[in-house]
Amino acid sequence: MLAVSAAVKIVDFVKKFGDTVAVDGLNLEIYEGEIFGLLGPNGSGKSTTLLTIATVYKPTSGDIYVFGRSVTREGDEVRKYVGIAFQEPKAMWVDTLYELLLWHARVVGYSSAEAKSAVRDAMERLNLWEHRGKQFYQLSGGTRKKLEIAKVLIQRPRLAIFDEPTAQVDVITKHALWDVIRELRQEGSTVIVATNDMFEAERICERLAIMYRGRLGALGTVRELKDRIPGGDVVEIGYEGSREEVERAVSRLPSVGRYVLEDNRLIAYLNRGEEKAAEIVSLLTSAGVKVKRIMVQEPTLDDVFFYFTGARLREENQDVALNRGATPWAR
Amino acid sequence: MGALSDLRTLALFAYWDLLRMRRRTMFVAMRVVWFALQVTLFALALSAMVRFRGYVSQGLDYYHFYLLGVYASILFSISTSNAYEVAEEFEEGIIEYHLSLPVKRRILTLGRAIGGGLAGFIFTLPMFGIVLALIGGATPWAVAASLAAALAFSIGVVGLVLSIVLSVKSGDATDVLFGVLDAMIVRLSTIFYPAVVLSKVAPYYYAAVSNPVSHFVDLLRTFFFFEEYRVLAVSDPAIMASYLLGFVAGLVSAAVYVVERKLEGGGWR
Repeated sequence: MLAVSAAVKIVDFVKKFGDTVAVDGLNLEIYEGEIFGLLGPNGSGKSTTLLTIATVYKPTSGDIYVFGRSVTREGDEVRKYVGIAFQEPKAMWVDTLYELLLWHARVVGYSSAEAKSAVRDAMERLNLWEHRGKQFYQLSGGTRKKLEIAKVLIQRPRLAIFDEPTAQVDVITKHALWDVIRELRQEGSTVIVATNDMFEAERICERLAIMYRGRLGALGTVRELKDRIPGGDVVEIGYEGSREEVERAVSRLPSVGRYVLEDNRLIAYLNRGEEKAAEIVSLLTSAGVKVKRIMVQEPTLDDVFFYFTGARLREENQDVALNRGATPWAR
Repeated sequence: MGALSDLRTLALFAYWDLLRMRRRTMFVAMRVVWFALQVTLFALALSAMVRFRGYVSQGLDYYHFYLLGVYASILFSISTSNAYEVAEEFEEGIIEYHLSLPVKRRILTLGRAIGGGLAGFIFTLPMFGIVLALIGGATPWAVAASLAAALAFSIGVVGLVLSIVLSVKSGDATDVLFGVLDAMIVRLSTIFYPAVVLSKVAPYYYAAVSNPVSHFVDLLRTFFFFEEYRVLAVSDPAIMASYLLGFVAGLVSAAVYVVERKLEGGGWR
């Protein structure tokens, strides 16, 4: 058994489909009780990893431990802990929502009476109740997606996995689904969310892994990942005074890697901009420069994503050009 | 997951197949039409041409032999049609969904085999009723024994279906394989011709006597007409019953092996 803090421990995990390597030596640890985001471009191996955690796929080599249980040797035990909302909703055209969810509730362990109540609660929570009698083929893409979320909401597993949960759903539903994810975490579930939506990852995930071509590109909290981008923050200061004095003051700050002076504005690219801004202002003021306004802008998760995946694209394939300008993190 | 919980889960997976019986109503309706034609036009015409000279004591003709053959044939056909349902489920990702559920794979497979078998059995119940009416005067024991045999046979066939479909993981291969299997297995059996007649062509005969369908259909015949058909059957009733049980146990075990050891999501062609 592994330490209790590790909900999921991925060890040298490799998954091949024929000659295609979907995941190539992934090592990762997901802590109990956190909302963990798995980011990456299409085909980066996110879904393969999640489906292997859920024991739908078998590792080609390596192993994954879910609450200390091996997916290769103890699949029956692992499945007791895991509930997954698939990227593509799973139902046959003939199934009605209520019928399918009721069956699901019974299989995950509810008694007949409890199942009815749990299904109704979940359906009402996700505004599905009015669609309960509809067959799967009659449902919109967003409603189908909610079906998958409802399955996890009913199951309330110790490890809840959401594979691109808000793709194809409207803004209101998206926020409702985020509330569901947070609620599950508050109730004690560990949650893994695979997503391509940077805003979503930033809003709900506490730690993130960025996958690229089946490998781990970066891992950390949102803040840590942003800080890892060289010169990722932008501090913009409007001033009145001599350009030379400003240049002299800024040059005394080694933490400012690159800066631009234009139209009585100093635009500095650096890390931890919110801390350094005060230092810059202090230096400018003591040099007799009047500071009129300050704006600090941190990199978005989009920038992080492009930095860790885009930079690698450039390293490995010179033909692939980024659409982010000279530096991937510059705005 | 105790034994009681496993049993409950098994029943739920069997229920999965029963819930989806309405998907197959058109297919079954076509088979019912085929069945009606077989037991009226063809059965009567054939029984007018075929006589069991020297084999059967009295009062029986090819019509009764043929009726139970047609029933066995349709049960086999409807049970194998489960293959197309499983293939469709794989394409729609239902198999992946099932694999992700907090359920032992063995229980999942047994449940699906029993559910598929039950569905096939229930679909053919009206036709079994018609056969009973046409035979006339069947004892309750014969009815109960033949129903139990029919259900076991159907479960065994679904076990075969699960083993093959989940191994080949191809919609096209499933279509071809089960089209051929349906045609070959029925014809290389004693469904329409008694073993004693087939004995004139050795390969045909040995194929038929080793065919589980022959054992099933001849077992049904001996349930209803023990003395009369005993001499025509492929084997002794006890051996036929054992063969049928072995067939069911073997194929359901094969399905369990495939699902537990080999099956994973994705890779469907």
